[in-house]
Amino acid sequence: MLWRRKATAGVDQAAKEAYFTASQGQLIWSRFSSNRTAMIAAWALVLMIFMGLFAPFLSPYDPTIAGRDEQYENGPPQIPKFWDENGFSWRPFIYATERERSMATNFRWVITENRDERLYMQFFTRDWDYKLFHLDYDLPGKAFDVDFALISSDIHLFGVQGGQIHLFGTDASGKDIFSRTLHAIWTSLAVGTLGVFISFVLALIIGGVAGYFGGWIDSVLQMITDAIRTVPSIPLFMALAAFMPDTWSSETRFFFISIILGLIGWPTLARRIRTHLLTERTQEYVLAAELSGAKPGHIIRRHLLPSFTSYIIVDLMISFPYMVRSETALSFIGLGLKDPVNSLGALMQNVSKADVLLNYQWYFIPVIFFIALVLAFVFVGDGLRDAADPYSDTKK
Amino acid sequence: MGQFIQFVITRATMALITLLTVSLIVFTLMELVPGTCAERYLAFKNTQGSQITIADIEAEERRLGLDRPFPERWGKWVYSVFVHGEFGDSCILRLNINQLLADKFWISLGICMAALLLSYAIAVPIGIISASSRSPVTNNTLRFVSYLGLALPNFLLALIIMLIATVYFGESLTGLYSKELRDAPWNLAKFKDFLGHAWLPVFILGWSATAFALQTVRALMLDEIGKLYVTAASARGVSGARLLWRYPAKHSLGPVINSLGFDLNRIFNELPIVALILTLTEAGALLFESLARSNDQQLAGAIIFLLTASIVALNFATDILLALIDPRVRRGMMG
Repeated sequence: MLWRRKATAGVDQAAKEAYFTASQGQLIWSRFSSNRTAMIAAWALVLMIFMGLFAPFLSPYDPTIAGRDEQYENGPPQIPKFWDENGFSWRPFIYATERERSMATNFRWVITENRDERLYMQFFTRDWDYKLFHLDYDLPGKAFDVDFALISSDIHLFGVQGGQIHLFGTDASGKDIFSRTLHAIWTSLAVGTLGVFISFVLALIIGGVAGYFGGWIDSVLQMITDAIRTVPSIPLFMALAAFMPDTWSSETRFFFISIILGLIGWPTLARRIRTHLLTERTQEYVLAAELSGAKPGHIIRRHLLPSFTSYIIVDLMISFPYMVRSETALSFIGLGLKDPVNSLGALMQNVSKADVLLNYQWYFIPVIFFIALVLAFVFVGDGLRDAADPYSDTKK
Repeated sequence: MGQFIQFVITRATMALITLLTVSLIVFTLMELVPGTCAERYLAFKNTQGSQITIADIEAEERRLGLDRPFPERWGKWVYSVFVHGEFGDSCILRLNINQLLADKFWISLGICMAALLLSYAIAVPIGIISASSRSPVTNNTLRFVSYLGLALPNFLLALIIMLIATVYFGESLTGLYSKELRDAPWNLAKFKDFLGHAWLPVFILGWSATAFALQTVRALMLDEIGKLYVTAASARGVSGARLLWRYPAKHSLGPVINSLGFDLNRIFNELPIVALILTLTEAGALLFESLARSNDQQLAGAIIFLLTASIVALNFATDILLALIDPRVRRGMMG
């Protein structure tokens, strides 16, 4: 947009020069950055990725059962305040809580705030130990075990003096929903990335072979691809996920789910790669390479694939929310990830209970993050698609 | 005419081949489930007090034909499904699957088709209007709704509707029938009651399909509306709704018909999860039950196969329909 306006004005020769000599990447970036929605979404996405990455630092309590607050089960969100009827304070505070169960409360635990006792917020407090950039996977087979951490610490961004603070409330076993949400964002992103990666590799191989060789190989591969595309994917996910024995560790489940997502996600991308290769392989530069004696693998890798790298990136970006969505759906119905792994779907598992719907609506807070995450991916993907398409300006 | 019959036959053969491939995928999946039908049945008997030996399991496997090689068993399954429409017995429930599914599958299919119809009943007029309107408010609202269709999966929508219904109206809106009519035979009263309950799953299942359909219709319409023949028609004095319906709308709806199969696919995707939330009692719920709870491979395989078969059938029907109404397609496909 910016470029075009200057070019049509016809005064700024330098801008015109810059436009014609700009690389593909620069052109895409300039188109992308002039799309305001996509930029906002990109920043939101970066923010959420960082929230996930630094989840242990940002979350005051351990998201697993180890960090539960026995005194505050099913507790409502506590919002830090600066003032109340007892005066103003520079340091934000919450109230101390008490809970009781008696005849008067119908034998349910009832939590009450003690408005006279303030708990002041503290920053950079010390609590549970954690490791950042931590890789620790206990896969079947000793050779695949990984244990690696860059930073290990016990400092957290905030906490509260002489008690606990739960910004988003707690669940039935007293786990902090804020901490769980942050960790869940990271898990969902990781599952999505792994799934997208696996489906990408599969699509590249299958689509590449089908598109390059054509003929009967193409027909057979297309038939299989189409058959897989016809089967509704979530029932297929469910069928595959049902294989998981309950005895598997949460890490193994995590990898298995990612692999399933990848195994089912490839057909759409494979089809696009194939179509593109089919049109490109009749071009002169391919013929030239063939005449020079280049091998098929070399031509696919060095000549054909770079010709549409940008499309591949855009496609990956667009398929990302579908992966996250499928994982969430699977975990939601209890076939995906389970405790102690926190994923957005696992967090939503309990929200359909009548008890939660009526009394504990703060269970729905992770849903907002899920919607924000998916929307951010969709907007960034759309923005990238428009930016990578050299004719997007002239189309409108 | 002869050419057309040839075209129909080619398409039918292709649909059959797809179905065969799907049946292979589904059957392999069923086989991959740990444990065979015989083991599961006898394990169940074991809990009832009778002692089971390895020999018993082997005898049961022979009775069920599980000792035969894989291709033979697949062939048998395919034969009984394709020729007799018979899916055999459920592993756990020990009931004939056809009886078990019977009207439950048709109810599911009906709900999904209704959702599909609803989504296009909304998407076609609104998509056409929005494509021809230049107002940024309409366009941005529409874009937002389409994105929300993706970001707010149907099961979340169902949850949110239930949240609002329970908190503000004190009703849970679940199930397909009222309590009194659940086991009654089908009659007018039950049908009315069913319609009174079915609108919610139809709406929820149609939700993201509508969002996607809106996007498709709008994009196709935008492509057509800029073409020269539209300008020519308006220069000749055709205007308003007449201009839109007579020319570009007609042309842009062809590809929409083509994508109906994939829309149905998308709706089926949500079926088991929505069924779970709304506690429906139809094939989606049965599928969830057989996969997540009882590990009933025969039943799950049958349902997945039936769902896919209805998509293939719809694809076949739309192909024929498209060839009938659009001469360009006819020429392109028949050469």
